[in-house]
Amino acid sequence: MTLLEVSSLNAGYGKSPILFDLSLEVSKESISAILGPNGSGKSTLLKSIFGLTTIYNGSINFNGNDITGMKPYEIARLGMAYLPQVENTYLNLNVRENLLMAGYILSKEETNARMQEVLDFLPVLKGFLEKKVLTLSGGERQMAIMAMALMRRPALMLFDEPSASLASKVADKIFEKIKELNRDFGMTIVIVEQDTRRALEISDESYLLVSGKVNFHGKSKELAENAELGRLFLGLRSHIQDKRVSV
Amino acid sequence: MIEFPVIVTAVVSSFLLGLLAMGFTLQYITLSVPNLAYGTIAFFTTYVTLTVTLLGLPPYVALPFAFLLAGSISFLLYKFMAFLRNRGMPLTALMISTLVFDFVIGAIMNIYADYISYTMKVFARMFSLTENDFSVSLPGGLHMPGILPVSMLASILIVLIFHTALVKTKFGIAMRAVMENYSMAGVQGINTERVLGFSWFFVGGIAGIAGSLYPMWFFMDPTVGTVMFVSIFASCVVGGLKSMYGSLVGGIVIGFSETFVTYGLVGVFGTWLWIYKSITPMLIAAISLMVMPQGFGGLVSRLKER
Amino acid sequence: MIGIAVIVSGVLMFCCVYAIVTLSVNLQYGYTGISNLGLYLPIIIGVLTVGVLPGRLALAVYGLSNLDFVNDNAKAVALLEARLQKDPLTSVMLLVVTLIVVGGVSAFAGYLSGYPALRLPGDYLALFMLCLGESLRLFGMETMSLAGGIYGISIVNLFVFLGPYADLGVISFIMVSAAIAYIVCDRMCKSPLGRLLRSVRDNELTAQCVGKNVSLIKKKLLAITFAMLGVAGSLFALFTNAVVVEGYTRSDFSFWPWLMMVIGGTGNDSGGLLGTGALVIMRRVMIVSKNYFGFLPFDVLWLEPILLGAMLALVLIFRPAGILPEKAPHVKRPYPKTTEEHRT
Repeated sequence: MTLLEVSSLNAGYGKSPILFDLSLEVSKESISAILGPNGSGKSTLLKSIFGLTTIYNGSINFNGNDITGMKPYEIARLGMAYLPQVENTYLNLNVRENLLMAGYILSKEETNARMQEVLDFLPVLKGFLEKKVLTLSGGERQMAIMAMALMRRPALMLFDEPSASLASKVADKIFEKIKELNRDFGMTIVIVEQDTRRALEISDESYLLVSGKVNFHGKSKELAENAELGRLFLGLRSHIQDKRVSV
Repeated sequence: MIEFPVIVTAVVSSFLLGLLAMGFTLQYITLSVPNLAYGTIAFFTTYVTLTVTLLGLPPYVALPFAFLLAGSISFLLYKFMAFLRNRGMPLTALMISTLVFDFVIGAIMNIYADYISYTMKVFARMFSLTENDFSVSLPGGLHMPGILPVSMLASILIVLIFHTALVKTKFGIAMRAVMENYSMAGVQGINTERVLGFSWFFVGGIAGIAGSLYPMWFFMDPTVGTVMFVSIFASCVVGGLKSMYGSLVGGIVIGFSETFVTYGLVGVFGTWLWIYKSITPMLIAAISLMVMPQGFGGLVSRLKER
Repeated sequence: MIGIAVIVSGVLMFCCVYAIVTLSVNLQYGYTGISNLGLYLPIIIGVLTVGVLPGRLALAVYGLSNLDFVNDNAKAVALLEARLQKDPLTSVMLLVVTLIVVGGVSAFAGYLSGYPALRLPGDYLALFMLCLGESLRLFGMETMSLAGGIYGISIVNLFVFLGPYADLGVISFIMVSAAIAYIVCDRMCKSPLGRLLRSVRDNELTAQCVGKNVSLIKKKLLAITFAMLGVAGSLFALFTNAVVVEGYTRSDFSFWPWLMMVIGGTGNDSGGLLGTGALVIMRRVMIVSKNYFGFLPFDVLWLEPILLGAMLALVLIFRPAGILPEKAPHVKRPYPKTTEEHRT
């Protein structure tokens, strides 16, 4: 069953178009990876789905609702969570306060119950609930971000580069948690990643973005195991000059 | 020997200035532009106190009215700013637009002063209400004017209430969240407009209280708002441009410095020093910028990080 | 007949002086992005210099140093004007020397102000300058020995040598100064220097990378604009024949020019002049019609800021780019239309 469908999307920032005729489908309870070189529009794609960019043309459908042109907080209320790379926490508030804000629209009892759930899922957070986010390490902060998103029990999580600037072991832990979310809680997840190895390992489907267009799409397992596809993938063709650009 | 009235001046001006500076900083943080009408809005409530005393009531009765009036006007100003900001107005133009309120409220204040002078036959363009204050006899034959405990108590209470709200209540934490990251808060479903609207009302009200207490010790005239604006700004610079509690400390520093330059040092070095009263706040601000550009607030955060 | 001449010359003077001020603001903000709310800082420097310098110089020149210009103000001014009436050379020299000193001191102040200008973010800088200006104003008000403190002093009319044409002389001089300022600015903006200034405004980092000493450029620009403002202030004082520092409020001499720019249209000179003209005429009309409103229990002049505030609010709400916005060159859109435009 398709949870998210993007059809022929043309989007960008103000008058600068970034995505061209982009289509993708995300099945329920799957993990999808969006891969590609720098500047290919991966983050823009996530932002467009969440309503943070200018949409020129095309449509986005989430769980049966046409969310094209909707405001981010309306989309959030429909059950989507967006975890951006930057500006994703209140640095001067502590973890508990951040969680409280993430679940702002919940009632008091719901908030306490959800917080308990979230802390059960990410018990490591209990160790630094009262610490200001500014003082947390990269890995701790990513955990906090995940926790904040989970307060609202979203149906879909859009994760922008979860492993960015994290040490390898720490990134492993994060990805473990992502897998757990999907496997044990049936969460549908879309990840944008630079770390292609990890992304292919964890995801069911992959999309390759080059210069704002989907260059390739298929099962991650196939992509990982297929040497020919790997060469194609590693020796990307840039549509502008048809030169091989290595990732 | 420092005379008692000098001490009163130092304490009262420090506490009032601290409150005013704290409020100004909060408005600056939430709106990203300084509120040029702040001095005028804070000090036009002195005329509320005057009106109250002219009606024969004790002056401190004016406090809740001052709070409501200044708070409402600040709320309206915020709504105006938010409207313009949503239209995409650049920051400099937003700053200029606060002048609308500065002009209008200032004019109303002057008109009212003229009107009172004309109808009640009092000199409302320059007045002080020290005589209407209550007095407490202290051992040693000193008479403590009521404004001393009132200003201290009011300031301490206000800061305590404010701080508690910011840390312990959901709405207060939301205020901090909105202050830090307006767009993220909006996405999370926090009603940012309501949060900011209320904080401007509250802060404006506090400024109004500080202003309404001013004539209980000092001489008030319609230009005081403009003159105090300099001291308020200097306090914010000393406190660190984005730190609320830093500004509070800054206000106390500037208040004490101004008083001791004008009264204390003059007694020691001679009256020629008096003329430098007007440049004291900016001098301290300039030195503070050179020596500790982040202000007290910055110092404290750097210490905390260690 | 004389009444109308007074009104007209008053309006002209205001227009010219404010025009110079607006030109400076345009240079500072429109071309280099420095927003300065303390315009009256250099203006007051100019005013104070006019109060301090020519009178005392003239006393020294004529050997009348036993008189104190401030304490014996009326007597000194009367005596000096009697002398200067027959001495055009000294008059002109005094004028020239004063303006040079005004320019120099103001420019120096502008250069110094570059230090905070480079350390403070935009709007805090604006406030900083505002407070500096207010401090100077207060200082001038409280220091009797400078320029009469709160009471002010009269100054010597340096144009008395023109006899019955003295008033005409003053206003002509002011108009010529404004014209010179306009031409100089216009030339400057259309020159390579103008391009340099705009590049600094648009992208400071790039300008630095290309090797332009941005801080030096800004300091020089502040020096130039401060000098212009100082001269504007001194012209104003020369016209009114008095120096009353108290009257140079932040409202009249810092906020008004900004309002004129905002209402008239930022980033272009005609807009600024339109704004100047509109506001000045409004003020003059109010002052003149004051007599008809004597029945009101308050000074009718207080309605002016209310009108001004209302005008500003209206412009901000309905024509935020100003009445004459900056004309951007027409750009053909190669980009796809947005969803909203598609719907309409």
